[in-house]
Amino acid sequence: MKRDDWSGVSGEDRVSQSEARWEKLKHNRLRCGIDGEMEEANVEDILDDWFIESLKTYKDLHVYQLEHPTQVIEWTSGKTVCVAGYGSSKNEVLELRLPLKLFANENKGLCAERDFKVVHGGFADGPVRCLRHVPGTRCIVTSDGLSSNLQVWDLGGDDSDVIRRTGSVKGRTTASEGVSRIAARPSSRPHILHGALSGDIQLTELTSGKTLYKLETDSADPLSSLQFVGDSVFLAGCRNGNIYVADTRTSSAPQLSPPPASSGESEPWWTDASAGPDPSSCRVIRLSLSGEAAVSDLRNPGAIVSRARLDVQTHCRCSSTDDVGLSLAPALDCIAVSGLGRAVQIYDTSVWRPEPQDALPLFEHRGHEVSSRQSDEGSVPALVTSHVWHPDRPRTLLSAAADGSVHVWDWVDRSAADAPAPGAK
Amino acid sequence: MICMKKIFFKSSPLNVGRVFGACRCFHAETVRRERSGLPIVHHGGYVCDLPPGHRFPMGKFPRVLRCLINDQVITDKQVWVPEIASKDLLSCVHTDEYLTNFIHGRVNEQDQKRTGFSWSEGLVSRCRYETGGTVLAAQVALQRGLACSTAGGTHHAFPGYGSGFCLINDLAVAAKYLMGNSSPKRKVLIVDLDVHQGDGTAFIFKEEPSVFTFSVHCGKNFPLRKQQSDLDVSVEDGLEDEEYLSIVEAHLPWLLETFRPDLVLYDAGVDPHQEDELGRLRLTDRGLYKRDLYVMKTMVSRGVPVAAVIGGGYSRDIDKLALRHSIVHRAATQVWREFGM
Repeated sequence: MKRDDWSGVSGEDRVSQSEARWEKLKHNRLRCGIDGEMEEANVEDILDDWFIESLKTYKDLHVYQLEHPTQVIEWTSGKTVCVAGYGSSKNEVLELRLPLKLFANENKGLCAERDFKVVHGGFADGPVRCLRHVPGTRCIVTSDGLSSNLQVWDLGGDDSDVIRRTGSVKGRTTASEGVSRIAARPSSRPHILHGALSGDIQLTELTSGKTLYKLETDSADPLSSLQFVGDSVFLAGCRNGNIYVADTRTSSAPQLSPPPASSGESEPWWTDASAGPDPSSCRVIRLSLSGEAAVSDLRNPGAIVSRARLDVQTHCRCSSTDDVGLSLAPALDCIAVSGLGRAVQIYDTSVWRPEPQDALPLFEHRGHEVSSRQSDEGSVPALVTSHVWHPDRPRTLLSAAADGSVHVWDWVDRSAADAPAPGAK
Repeated sequence: MICMKKIFFKSSPLNVGRVFGACRCFHAETVRRERSGLPIVHHGGYVCDLPPGHRFPMGKFPRVLRCLINDQVITDKQVWVPEIASKDLLSCVHTDEYLTNFIHGRVNEQDQKRTGFSWSEGLVSRCRYETGGTVLAAQVALQRGLACSTAGGTHHAFPGYGSGFCLINDLAVAAKYLMGNSSPKRKVLIVDLDVHQGDGTAFIFKEEPSVFTFSVHCGKNFPLRKQQSDLDVSVEDGLEDEEYLSIVEAHLPWLLETFRPDLVLYDAGVDPHQEDELGRLRLTDRGLYKRDLYVMKTMVSRGVPVAAVIGGGYSRDIDKLALRHSIVHRAATQVWREFGM
């Protein structure tokens, strides 16, 4: 696995507010030589500027280059993640160990291990579009978007470095209706919730293949997310902005919340929800393609508690918007957004109010943009395909892009440094 | 004595007076007349305060000296203290506009960002002392054959702007100053083994035949926008001791034979080390020591004076980093001893 290639790509996109600073840097930087000769800054200059800046803006930043890009990043332990290719034929499924230097909080200088390491690997016959780890096991479940069936794998232990296919899970329909979303039950029972449409969602016991539950609804909304918010309560986020909340212990109809009223025509939405023992502490966030964000409480998802207009830079995309990622931070009042621009953006939701207001990112990870290859014919723009928060380290994230780069980064919250002293308000 | 004789024999009668002149006006606060071992150039003013949490390992400079003294590699009798570099001295390389703005704090935010530092008076002072130190090390090397600073190597500074933690190009100032003005000029070879290309130095001396810039660096490290040294060797990530040393051995002897420098400035950056947080090579402590020993022995055995600076190194464990930087001083001490200097 080679290190990343630093040649840059120049953007031709519309400039949003926070992009303006970046564009200005690109086009207006001039240099004076010893005899007054002016040179126009080129892309390498921008990368060098970003590199120097990154020494201040990140507490840690480690980059890694996969041979083939991934659309999925899934934690399998506090130090390991699974990634997998999404090409049309054979794809690698890999378990990577993060650089140990990242975790050596006190003695970083003593830890030489700053590389990602492939600890287990295997091959999938088709693309891997969704990948979920079953908590408490060495088992993962994947979906390829070609059918509603799922593939089950064993990641292997210390004695083997092979990820083996061990079986499948049958989906509810035979035809492919899009990518089946997968959620694993948080408790140690290996139960998998899956489906590509709202009407297909079912809960399957992995060991026996038995169907334990089916969501009863007439709707057939394509899903953009599926997750457990408690041991039995789950939330299904639909592409059209609908949210279904249901309990696998009951057969009653799910609670449906339509998307927040928005001015434009119907557009795709993404959803994330936080899990917790107490429903009152669970939040739901929804984001539309145009950047409308709305936060609500799980007990009453329809009532919007706070909202904002995010500074996303949307590309005109003809392909599916599978690559958009939206996530609530596990330990901060923040969200991360990827796939709607070239950066991974972090927003502070604690300052959002019931009335919609423009919000600027608290932090932007531009690493994939600067590490992508030169944009001539046949090159790949570094669109971020996936991101995840570290479950325990508050400001650590992993992100992956279409050029095969995988980054783990721990960003510096500059606003905390500039914040007024307590009581100053 | 050996080196001194060789300098005399190499110089034409026209140059003798100039050599004496250089000896008489060292840019030093402390001049060591007695022969008390390898000259070490150090100033307490190499350090300035930085904002809390700043990533530049400023504390390494005094620690380098302290660990050399604590380990009894040197005594404080060997320490030469440089004068602060005057604006005049700096102007032989840097533009007047840049120097005026730099000294008076009129650097815009954008330019500051690229240097990695926020401007402060302390910062200006420490850069000037550091440059003064490199100039003094070069002067002392001309007289004694070998000298080392406990700082130096700010090779990313260009005439009109700073970059990558470098605000004044100390190697360029020293080379330009020691090169002199009268014909024939003194020939200076700059051997830059820091893991980052010496882009500023390369640019400054691009058209200067009396200064030869030689840089061995990792291609994928900063800066990506490379300049053209007189000889650039760009190496791949992950290079280890043996291969790295063989690259240096492949180039240095013939460079000395063909260019025939009167003075060598050696940037002994430790960022090719495997534990360096920014460098992408894999040298060990032993590898760095062998490298420094080889470079300095090659020069001294040919009677070519060499002044060494510590160059770049980036690590959050500052004591370990300082120890790593002190490798060049230990190697120089070994050379000093071996050659009975």
